[in-house]
Amino acid sequence: MTTNSKDMRKTWEKIADYFRAHSIWMKWYCTGCGAIEMPPTMTSRFDMEQLGMGPMATPRQADVLLITGYLSAKTLRRVIYSYEQMQDPKYVVGFGSCTLNGGIYFDSYATMTRLDHYLPVDLYIAGCMPRPEAIMNAFDTLIKMIEKGEAKGWRHYQENHDWYRKNQLHSLKEVYVKDEFHE
Amino acid sequence: MNSMNKLVEELKGRFTLLEVLLPDQQQLIVDIDQMHLHALLSHLKATGFRQLSLLTAVDWIEENTFQLVYIVFNWDTGIHVLVRTKLPRDKAVFRTITGIYPGAQYYERDVHEFFGVAFEGNVMSFKPLFLELWDELPPMRKDFDPEAYSREKFPERPYVPQFVPKVEVVE
Repeated sequence: MTTNSKDMRKTWEKIADYFRAHSIWMKWYCTGCGAIEMPPTMTSRFDMEQLGMGPMATPRQADVLLITGYLSAKTLRRVIYSYEQMQDPKYVVGFGSCTLNGGIYFDSYATMTRLDHYLPVDLYIAGCMPRPEAIMNAFDTLIKMIEKGEAKGWRHYQENHDWYRKNQLHSLKEVYVKDEFHE
Repeated sequence: MNSMNKLVEELKGRFTLLEVLLPDQQQLIVDIDQMHLHALLSHLKATGFRQLSLLTAVDWIEENTFQLVYIVFNWDTGIHVLVRTKLPRDKAVFRTITGIYPGAQYYERDVHEFFGVAFEGNVMSFKPLFLELWDELPPMRKDFDPEAYSREKFPERPYVPQFVPKVEVVE
């Protein structure tokens, strides 16, 4: 995401960003093996609540969408649904090299190679797998980015919605979820 | 081992088997003509092989055949039997076994989706199971190129290795 060096925020936005940064509710979209790094991060060993972050069960109440692992064409449709259900401001963190560049299955017919083509990613955590230390480090960076007003992916998504939608449709043909168990 | 010998003798006596292999103490591989596969499977089911563990396919593109593999399991003796049969690749149509093993429903959908083998008599098997809005060759066929598909559908990140220093070799 391109960031302007000049801070364009109004005063109330700066105050709001300060509070946003210190109470982050996360929605984890645990698609792949990355989910296994979340239990140690949230439990007593690393304890992510020391940074003021907590898990949230639904996308509508969450601030951060953490995508841990591979996105197949099928899961990406669900992720876009979840992302669009979230309230602004919202942040996306891509976790692991699979969201970054496709990882070891970059040539698969089923998996996406880069997440930021479809959703605005504020922060990537590289590695396969990133350890809980890396996740904590990324949370710390994300908090600082929100506080400084640098995490503007949600605004980028609004302003460049056509570009994102075009990429989504190119790879998925249709974002609408058809599910035979809910027909 | 005794029950295995009995099983092999019995199957050899009842059916014309193309090949019989014993890869392990508790495993038996049986190749059979596709005309007799249903009879063999019903016989196995009636003699204790109650569980269909797997149905999958192998694409032998050089022989121009698909090989269907049915794995059945007997919980009393612990014996696996792999029943294999071959289909012509350009006319990949077979009859369903859902009358014998109803659990084959989803396996047949799976094989149809990933290999394009049609199962007559199982209307459900033509519905897509895992892939949504798929319009290419079935992806597990050997003539499908997943890398070309991925390149075309899912654009890659341009790779700029900034952190690799250029080393000049001084002689």
